[in-house]
Order: sequence, then C-alpha cells, then structure tokens
Amino acid sequence: MIYVISEAEDVTTNYVLEWLLYYKKDFIRRNFQDVSTLNFLELSNDTLDIKIDELRKVEIKKIWHRRARTRFTPLSLRKIPSMYSYLKKEEEILVKSIENILKKDIDYIGSFQKEDENYKIDYLLLAKKVNLKIPDTLVTTSKEKLYLFFDKHASIITKDLRYPIRVNSENFKITSAGTTVITAKMLSEMKNNFAPSLFQERIDKQYEIRIFFFKDKLYPMAILSQNDESTSLDYRNYNNLKPNRNVPVLLPSKIEEKVINFIKSSELNTGSIDLILSTNNEYIFLEVNPQGQFDWVSKNCNYYIEKDIAEYLIN
Amino acid sequence: MIQQEIPFVLIANCIPVKGANQSLICDLQRNNIVHIPNDLYDIIIKFEGETLHEIKSYYKNIYDDTIQEYFEFLYDNEFIIFTKTPNLFPKIALDWHEPSQISNAIIDINESSKYNVEKVIEQLNEINCKYLELRFFKSTNLNELSRLANFLDNLKSSIISIDFNMPFQQGFDELSLFSFISEFPRISSFRIHSSPFDKFIPPKKAQSGYIIYSQQKVKNEKFCGIVDTSLFAINIKTFTESQNHNSCLNRKISIDVEGNIKNCPSMAQSFGNIKDTTLQEVLQQKEFKKYWNITKDEISICKECEFRYICTDCRAYTENPKDNYSKPLKCGYSPYTNEWSDWSTNPLKQKAIEYYDLKGLI
Ligand code: SF4
Ligand code: SF4
Repeated sequence: MIYVISEAEDVTTNYVLEWLLYYKKDFIRRNFQDVSTLNFLELSNDTLDIKIDELRKVEIKKIWHRRARTRFTPLSLRKIPSMYSYLKKEEEILVKSIENILKKDIDYIGSFQKEDENYKIDYLLLAKKVNLKIPDTLVTTSKEKLYLFFDKHASIITKDLRYPIRVNSENFKITSAGTTVITAKMLSEMKNNFAPSLFQERIDKQYEIRIFFFKDKLYPMAILSQNDESTSLDYRNYNNLKPNRNVPVLLPSKIEEKVINFIKSSELNTGSIDLILSTNNEYIFLEVNPQGQFDWVSKNCNYYIEKDIAEYLIN
Repeated sequence: MIQQEIPFVLIANCIPVKGANQSLICDLQRNNIVHIPNDLYDIIIKFEGETLHEIKSYYKNIYDDTIQEYFEFLYDNEFIIFTKTPNLFPKIALDWHEPSQISNAIIDINESSKYNVEKVIEQLNEINCKYLELRFFKSTNLNELSRLANFLDNLKSSIISIDFNMPFQQGFDELSLFSFISEFPRISSFRIHSSPFDKFIPPKKAQSGYIIYSQQKVKNEKFCGIVDTSLFAINIKTFTESQNHNSCLNRKISIDVEGNIKNCPSMAQSFGNIKDTTLQEVLQQKEFKKYWNITKDEISICKECEFRYICTDCRAYTENPKDNYSKPLKCGYSPYTNEWSDWSTNPLKQKAIEYYDLKGLI
C-alpha cells in the first residue's frame, strides 16, 4: 500500500494519483481535512508497534508526504478554538514522532517536520557550509544597525524568518508571502527598536532558478523575469498578462554538485530550492521549501514530474 | 535590450514550425501563434547560440537591417533571450504521456437512440476517461442533462470535463446555463447549435465552463471534422501529442447514435454494440487503434503545413477516402499559398463530398 498525505485542494496530488490508478496500484490518500485514525502507537521495553488508518506498518510500502500533515483529532474538537489551539500543538509533535518512527522502516518521502521547521537562517548556514553563495543577511531589532546595513548595500529587502506574514487585527490586515524592498523613507519612519526581522542585500539577477527535487532527481527551471518591473523582485508577484518565461535550464556541474550536497546534508528528500543567478554570474542560494509546488515546473518544462513520482512510488 | 555580442537562444516553449511557404512560432506558454517568414525560421535554426554580430557577418553584412529587424521582433515578443551561456538552456522535451487508456470520448444521441447512456458513462469511468463530449442531435432539456450530470457526480467519475453539444431550446438562456455550470463544475462548455443568434460567452469567475451559441445547424455526426483557425489548440499537450499521435483520434472512443462502439462516430467501422460489448473488450482489439499513431507529419499536405502541431486532424472525412494519409476534407487551407478558401465549393473535393454523402449538409 502507498500512503499519501496531502490536502483536499491539492490538485498536484491528483495528477500523481492518476498515474497510480493507471498502473493499477493501491494507495490511500489522507487529507489534512480528514480525520485519520490512530489505532495505536504502542511501545514497551522490547516492542514498538504502530497502526494508522487500519494499516500496520508492514502493510505500508511507501509514504509520500506531499503536503500538510495527518490529523487525528475529531472534528467536534477541532471546532472549539480554545481547545484546539492546545490539542493542535500536542498533535503536531505526535505527528513528528510518528514520522520519525515510520522513517526508520519505510521509504518516507516528504516531511511535516521539515516543513514545520523550515527556518531560513538554518538553511542559509547550511548552504554556506556546502559552499553555495548566500546573500548578505542581517537579523536585528535595531534601527541603528539596520541603517549601517542599508548604507552598505545598493538595495535591501526583508522577508519572513519562517512564517508568511499574516496579521489580522481589528483595524488592519497584513499578509505577504514574498519579499519587500526597504526604502529610505520606510527606514526613516521606523521606530528605533522593532521585532526581530530579517534583512538581505537585494541581488540584481539575470534570472531565478527554481529546482524541484525528488530523491536524487533535480528538475531545474529558469524564471526569466528581469525585463518586467512587476516581477523583477520576486516571481511570486505574478504578472498575469505577460507571464514570466519559465523554461528548462541546466546548472553548471559545479553548482549542481553543491546543490546535491546541500540536499544531502539537509536530509530533505524532496522540496524546492530557489537560486538566483546574479548579474555577476554568481549562483546564490535564497531558500528551500520542503513542500514546494512542482506542477507549474512540470508543465512549463514538460518534465512529467508527476509521472516520475508515481513510478518511484510503485517501484 | 538587443545585444550584438551576446549569443541568443530561443525560449524553450516557443517553438518554430516551418511550413511550405511560411513559418510559425508556437508560443506554448502564452497560447499564441505568430507568423514568421521562412528565412527567419532558417536563421533561427542555423544560428541559435550565436551572436547577432556573427549572423550579420555570415551574410557579409548585406542584410544587417533585415536581420536587426527580425531580432527586434523576436525580442519584443520575448521569444528569445541573450545569454553568455546558451548551453545552459536545453530544448524542451517533446514527449507526451497520458495516464489513461482512453482520454476522451464522444457520445452521440438522437431521436431513435435506444442504448443506455449511463452504462457507457460507467464504463468510461472504469477506464479512467477524462474528457467527455455529449452530442445531442435531438432536442433535450436541462432535466435530462442534470440527470446525467448527477449520475457522474454520484459515480465520483474520473471524467473531469464535459462538453454538451445540443440544439437551441427554450430555457437555454445564459442565466440558466450558468447556474447549471455552477452546480456541476465538471461542465466545460455548452455548445448550442441551431440557435437564433451567434454568441460566445466566456467563463464566469472561478469557473471554467463557457457557452457558445451558433446558428449552424448540427443534424448528425457528419457535421464534425471541420478545420478552422478558431479550433486550433495552442498548448504543450496538443503540440506534443501531435508529434507522436493523431491529434483527434488518439485515445478516443465513441458511441454512435445506435450504440455502436467506434473510434469516431463518423467512421463506418464498428467494434461492437454497447448492448453486448464492453468498452474494455473493444480496447483489446488492435484494429481499434489503427489511426491512433497517424501523425500530421505523415499526412499529405498537412506535413508541409505550419499549423500541423496545433491543428486537430480528421481521419473520417479526407480528400481521398481510399487513402489513410490523405488531407482532411474539411480544411480549406493551402500551405502553399497561405490562403483559406471554402472547402465545400472546391472542385477537387466534390468527389469526396459525394462519397461521404455530405451534399445536403453544406
Ligand atoms: S475523425 Fe473527424 S469526424 Fe471523427 S471525431 Fe475526429 S474530427 Fe470528428
Ligand atoms: S493543411 Fe492540414 S495541418 Fe494545415 S490547417 Fe489544413 S488540416 Fe490543418
């Protein structure tokens, strides 16, 4: 049995499952919206056994953890916010423990743990360790320090450390998943001290590269956006009329080697890496997304990633 | 900016296709085609990866202005980029895959149809069919359609797209049809023929279904097979499928008005009737798939046409009914003159028109 963990609205999962249907392979898909059954997780001094959704460990051949995570808490409890905010935390660490247990014996691709603990600073350090270039980065609460950083670079940006910005107050709402340029005006209006924030030099780019990877296979795509003001900062600010040119691209072998080293030492077995090729011809690591989307990479480059994944899961 | 000293490469999903007299760039990302002269096609193919400066001097600087103009055009349309590392930009792979034995189906229904449509739909579901076209050659109503749509819903059918093709009727107004579409998101389109007016209504927000009203009468399956620019499909799926398979008949199965199982309803050859044969059984017959791999590159005239990878083929009505590789009868295009003319009045086509008994229809 192939066990797939995803979200109800994730069509990318459907595309992979269509291939499993075509090859007539059994699978079970559990969405974040569903209530999974934790039959038991039992451990003693000399035993460890686990059964989920009526499946014993030995019955599961492979797990593809595409998105989100399994949820065991009954719907009635999920509806009570005061209750669920606590139960959710308990459940999250349980899911991580289960993941660790299953990983020991089962080929487990994808990870809630990695997604949850996707800390930008840690991965920048890891990239540095495998000799990938990274942008100058500052995390600070001090305007004074930020001024120095601002003066040192032609342009700087800010983005989140881990969580996409989502602030819902009574009077205003702020959401952002991308990158914002810091202007002199913004700086002058800032307080002397602020919440810890991440800043980076803004790198002038030839193009961005998104590399989806699944096990040992890399699927790199170039995002050619520099010509276009609205997307030149971050391709997530999609320009709909003239979408960016997204094309298959190769990495120079030296860079590819470093990327592979990065993946190995990160212990990720799937995800998406964002690189930038600077105008100075340097490949610069930006970030990695353990549950990154691949469907648009697959379609733009005619890679058939969904087919590869399905074939991996059944072999 | 146009660069003289930096090599150019084509954007991988903008693919030039050469015809007898002119070429196309098929922009498969933005779903758009642009005509280019054949000599620009030749320049692109011959010199991709080289600089403008090199190209100009290759032609001894006699055509500098034309070449400059060509490249400005390519650059303005974002068909090319300039890069010092052209080797890092590979061509896009042109392979085509589809996770189902049958991807698309046609079901025809007229006054005298007696077969069980639900049974067909059930079997289509078993073979993971994705796209279904239901063609009514008789009047129908929203009750009948909602019965079928409900049936699909209850099946949790593999069919993700339904096109309803049917004659105009009281009650087929925009409002009712759109509320139908919002109830059944699987519906891709309503194509209403024999309508008092022509009108195209694009999908409403967050839905995919659209409506086409057309004055054209569609009395039976013989109206199918028309080749027209409005029917070109400019996308990577069709483009790659056309390279490897027949762009109409590959992975298609049809039920004609009598319940006969065919590759296409307009074809004479039947592989059994749905009352006593299953679709699965038909798929086992090798004969059934005989047209599936006939590509445009093998069809006379089409193989020299710049539209060959975006144009839907037709094997049921061809200029020479005896020849499996003859050009579609209902195409009025000539790749040699680049003109479209009325196919039905073309004297060279009259014999075939008579053969298929299409006279009364055009
Ligand atoms: S082969 Fe021709 S008649 Fe048959 S379905 Fe295709 S276009 Fe229509
Ligand atoms: S000649 Fe062939 S490929 Fe060209 S438009 Fe006509 S049918 Fe299509």
